[in-house]
Amino acid sequence: MTRGAAITRRVAGHLARGVVMIWVVATVSFFIIREIPGDPVQGMYESLLQKGMSPQQAERATAVLYGFLPKGTLWDQYVGYMGSLLHGDLGQSLSTPGVQVTHLIGAAASWTVLPVLAGTLLSFLLGVTMGVYAAIRRSGKLGDLLALSGSLLHGIPVYVIGLLLTAIFATLWPILPSGGPVDVDYVPGLNPGYIGSLLYHAVLPVVTYTLASYGGWILAMKSNVVAVLGDDFILAAELRGLKRGIVFRYLARNAILPLFTILALSIGMLFGGSIFIEEIFNYPGLGLLLVNSISSRDYALMGGTFLIITVGIVVANIVADLLYTVIDPRVRSGGTA
Amino acid sequence: METAPGVRIRDLTVVYNTPMGELPAVSGVDLTLTPGTITGVVGESGSGKSTLALSLLNAVQPPGRISGGSVEIDGLGDVVRLRGEELRQARGRKVGYVFQAAQNSLNPLKTIGKQLLDLGRSHDVADPRALVRDAKDLLARMGLDGARVLDSHQHELSGGMRQRVGIMLALVLNAKVVVLDEPTTALDMITQATILRIIREVHEERALTTLVITHDVGAVAEVADALAVMYGGRIVEHGPIADVLGAPAHPYTQGLIRAIPRLSGDISQARALPGRPPTLGTLPAAGCVFRERCALRMEICETVEPAPVTCGGRTVACHAAGHSLAPVKRKEYV
Repeated sequence: MTRGAAITRRVAGHLARGVVMIWVVATVSFFIIREIPGDPVQGMYESLLQKGMSPQQAERATAVLYGFLPKGTLWDQYVGYMGSLLHGDLGQSLSTPGVQVTHLIGAAASWTVLPVLAGTLLSFLLGVTMGVYAAIRRSGKLGDLLALSGSLLHGIPVYVIGLLLTAIFATLWPILPSGGPVDVDYVPGLNPGYIGSLLYHAVLPVVTYTLASYGGWILAMKSNVVAVLGDDFILAAELRGLKRGIVFRYLARNAILPLFTILALSIGMLFGGSIFIEEIFNYPGLGLLLVNSISSRDYALMGGTFLIITVGIVVANIVADLLYTVIDPRVRSGGTA
Repeated sequence: METAPGVRIRDLTVVYNTPMGELPAVSGVDLTLTPGTITGVVGESGSGKSTLALSLLNAVQPPGRISGGSVEIDGLGDVVRLRGEELRQARGRKVGYVFQAAQNSLNPLKTIGKQLLDLGRSHDVADPRALVRDAKDLLARMGLDGARVLDSHQHELSGGMRQRVGIMLALVLNAKVVVLDEPTTALDMITQATILRIIREVHEERALTTLVITHDVGAVAEVADALAVMYGGRIVEHGPIADVLGAPAHPYTQGLIRAIPRLSGDISQARALPGRPPTLGTLPAAGCVFRERCALRMEICETVEPAPVTCGGRTVACHAAGHSLAPVKRKEYV
């Protein structure tokens, strides 16, 4: 088999498995929501009947909200729900009547993805770079200090960091806004004032997120680098007189490899939002949306949010696996997927 | 053709920093590599032979350090004094090193060809194409398809192939001093024989000065011109290989040779050397390091370390062997 055909087969296999996983999660969450004690779907249907709707009207109204019929066998309802899922229809929100769940999720995602993505990437870059130095200077003061900073920040909960930063930079020394995603004075769009305000408001959440996840990266990278430093090929490269920069690249590339899986997964997780950060900084993101949907028993929204998180993680997994075929030659020629 | 450089190791001491203080792995070693010869160094694990090999590139790894002595290489000076860029440029360019466990001496993420170009870039090779051509020639001499090997990753090559790639990388910059640390360990007998033949051929072709470290007396007998025997961080015997193997003077060398099983004859004739080699911590502070296992042990061995005595091209460090060597000395000079 040619290399191209092998890669095509690999991608196809990953996609098929991804679709199956998403289907399983959608099915499980359908039945969980359907089987919750007190059956919210049935409850809604009955309350609409009590409000004086005709059975047909109540049925239609419930169907619009949940994306499936409250009547008929469980199987019929399941088929109906899957059908509308295939059309990208997640039903309508209960707490904000008349608004499509997909619309709510889309709006929240735009507030979540950029700050969390920026925070993830920043903490990754920072943690990985510092991890290399912590490993190389591990017997010196600088190494001790870096490793200590990692353990410390890894141990402090994200909301403590968030509250601390707000207290310092928004209250004690008010140079940054304490919350909200953007000033309402600006017209949304691609104008410098609006974008500037967006960035200004994003500083604290991004820094909080970066500090909160930096510790994990630096500790993981440090231990990887120490392991690779003990590998024979690094000493061999030095004995061949390779330039320091080249030896460093050998070291860093080999050490960073295992971290890409974790990075891809954290990027996938960002569709779950970051509940604490969004709560502290009053960001209307996905995390807040999920929490609100749970507290207001908005089952359609809940199901939709879970589904988005699932899709995010499944896609991130596939991307991570495919990424390895590019960056790790041992996986590439592994042949059978 | 330029002449092969000579290597003179003088009073070399390498210590390792341990919880028990600094302990010597190599103590006061004198060893001269005659230009254009292959010198073998044999010894048991822990005898300090790999440390000695690394000293030739001033590459003793922490917690070890060279605490005294010199390693003079013609055209390079005292390697022990080299630092930073000077040292880096000498490695690979002037002194080629084939790594112990060369199977793992390659970056798993890059093709051999790219690692070759990294090597060229590190040593400011003006013409990368010529470098690739030289590499292919060398690989072809070792019975490999150069183009295919350069296009491969480490995991696509067998142990013997990787070993040959390691030798190629040590030779491709035309280093005149080559150090091979256990070049045939972990290889099967056939591959061992091939590698040894290649080492011998390339050595002669390029007029190299070669040092082969091994614990395999049989392997070294195949290739070396001279043999040095190490024990407890000292060279206890050194001389032309036929003399050292044919008429070993030091009781340790005698024990080593008696321990080799023969293909012909009774296997029970092989006699294992009793006792264990010393470790860094159990080396005696005074006297002969070998006395605990020595059949010829005398009173003087307890207190006085035997100084190396040279005669007739052979150097031996033993109080007892000094007597048996004495007649030879007389015969030569009278």
